[in-house]
Amino acid sequence: MNNFLKLVNFELGRFIKVYFILAGITVASQLIGMALIANDYLEMFNEEVYTNGTSIELFVEYYGEISLLNLQYSQWFNLPITFAVAVLIIYSFFIWYRDWLGKNTFIYRLLMLPTARINIYLAKASAIFLMVLGLVALQVVLLNVESSMLKWMVPANLRADLGIMESIGGLHSGGSMLAVIIPTSFIQFLIHYGVGFMVVFILFTAILFERSYRFKGIAYGVGYAIVAFVVFFAPFVVEIIFGRNYLFPTELFILEGILWIVVTGSSIWVSNYLLNKKVTV
Amino acid sequence: MKITFNKRDPVYIQVVQHFKEQIASGKYELGQEIPSRRELANQLKINPNTAQRAYKEMEEAGLIFTEGNNPSRITKDEQVLRNLRTELIEGAVDRLIAAVEPVNIPIDELIGLIQAKYEEQRGEQR
Amino acid sequence: MIEVKNVTKKFGRKNVLQGVSFTANKGEITCLIGVNGVGKTTILNGIVNLTPMTSGEILIDGEKLTKETYEKIAFIPDAITMLPRMRVREAMQFMQDFYDSWNNERAEELLRFFKLKKEDRISSLSKGNVAKANLLLGLALDVDYLLMDEPFSGIDIFSREQIADVFTSHLVEERGVIITTHEINDIEHLIDKVVLLDDGIVFKEFATEEMREVEGKSVVDVMREVYRG
Repeated sequence: MNNFLKLVNFELGRFIKVYFILAGITVASQLIGMALIANDYLEMFNEEVYTNGTSIELFVEYYGEISLLNLQYSQWFNLPITFAVAVLIIYSFFIWYRDWLGKNTFIYRLLMLPTARINIYLAKASAIFLMVLGLVALQVVLLNVESSMLKWMVPANLRADLGIMESIGGLHSGGSMLAVIIPTSFIQFLIHYGVGFMVVFILFTAILFERSYRFKGIAYGVGYAIVAFVVFFAPFVVEIIFGRNYLFPTELFILEGILWIVVTGSSIWVSNYLLNKKVTV
Repeated sequence: MKITFNKRDPVYIQVVQHFKEQIASGKYELGQEIPSRRELANQLKINPNTAQRAYKEMEEAGLIFTEGNNPSRITKDEQVLRNLRTELIEGAVDRLIAAVEPVNIPIDELIGLIQAKYEEQRGEQR
Repeated sequence: MIEVKNVTKKFGRKNVLQGVSFTANKGEITCLIGVNGVGKTTILNGIVNLTPMTSGEILIDGEKLTKETYEKIAFIPDAITMLPRMRVREAMQFMQDFYDSWNNERAEELLRFFKLKKEDRISSLSKGNVAKANLLLGLALDVDYLLMDEPFSGIDIFSREQIADVFTSHLVEERGVIITTHEINDIEHLIDKVVLLDDGIVFKEFATEEMREVEGKSVVDVMREVYRG
């Protein structure tokens, strides 16, 4: 356990600079975006109301009140999130391959640590999870800051003060990354991140197949991933094929929970086997 | 201390031989303390096992002795020293005879040559 | 004792090792000799389970390797196994964090012996100093067995001499050492035992002093016979 925590700490440390840069980009982009969006809105308001003589009521009716939603649909908001997600997805590969790359192959050291090798796998996965959750937490904080910014910049009669969850709930689907990364219900949150983390485990297992059997391993890895997804999504596939619902939503949820455990558990089990018996430096 | 080792004789024998020469020539005095096995290995750049083996051989031959945990010393036995000198000189003479035998040189001539060369070399050394 | 028993290794269709057997004793320096690509590194990797063997068995003190074995056997590969951006001090800290067998006193001693600076980054060290830092990280572990892959290759003559000094010191005394090399000349009188490899098998296994004593042959003589004969 102790070694596991040291490994997690080590893995976080290796990426912390890039991670802080990601966080910095997100913060800067969203805060600048909020300021510019509020500013544009106020400029428009000045133009319409003071230059063109439109009434405030008409302006609000026509352009709507400004709220967090204006920011959440903008690229100032979505680009850095997309970027961070992309970087973390790429790093999920690189977190393994970097140990094999170059002359100073660190994988020698990792595999020779006097600790169960599965700890390396779990530590790398945990590092990814922590970094993902860290960015989510940062986003929640940022939304609060942005909400305060809005209150400070725009008079009350021109803005709609939405709570954070309210603002997310108000998003129409597909319009913003936010609906994906911070779902409004706890169950939904569990589903999003449960599936996400399971995918990371499957990906890691596929990578270990490749690292164990090299060229042939790519096929094994892809094969493993396909099987894992088919098993996990089997209930949905069955319902789509036969065109009817066999299970109540709660039953489906419980069944999916069990399948999640099966798929995640087997990924860890297979990885443990590969790390101990098959992996090669 | 420096020995140039050849690669075909056992290293431990070369170490023992070196010690014998040092003792016989008086460079090591009787009863003098000698380096530990570890120090010797380090000085001669040899494996500690080899140093150990050399010391064991010398101890068994009575050339060195160790009392308790004290450092090893050169023997104090004059008789051992005399035997050693005899052994080394006889060995050298044997080799000389073996080397000159094919040339078939008369003994008087050989002795004369030895005398001349020996004095010449000693003169150079002085 | 490290026992390698009839080990084979295939890379694809290529048989790199075709039934290699030898033993390496504690307190002795065993040298695996063979030209490049003969599978020396593969054998060392196999001993510490960094690559699986196709068949055969490897025992360390009569037991198969487990995670605890890494506290009593250390492998020093031919390149340093630390992140280049780490400072020497950080690399030492990493080892201390994970290994109970890490001996900090000895690490400090080695640091002085090799004249390395703690604050230097590994990426900024010369080739010779990287090799020394690499050696330091392995030698400072209080382990019974040390495996070293080509500790003398590709470094300057002074570093070589310094590293050779390690073999004559208490740093390896009483441990079992296996080193690989394709160049025996400098270290001939340092080693206890030779395992000559070629074409994936052991050509000859012998004790160096015994070979000199009984047959009057140097290691190089034997190699000449074996490889030319």
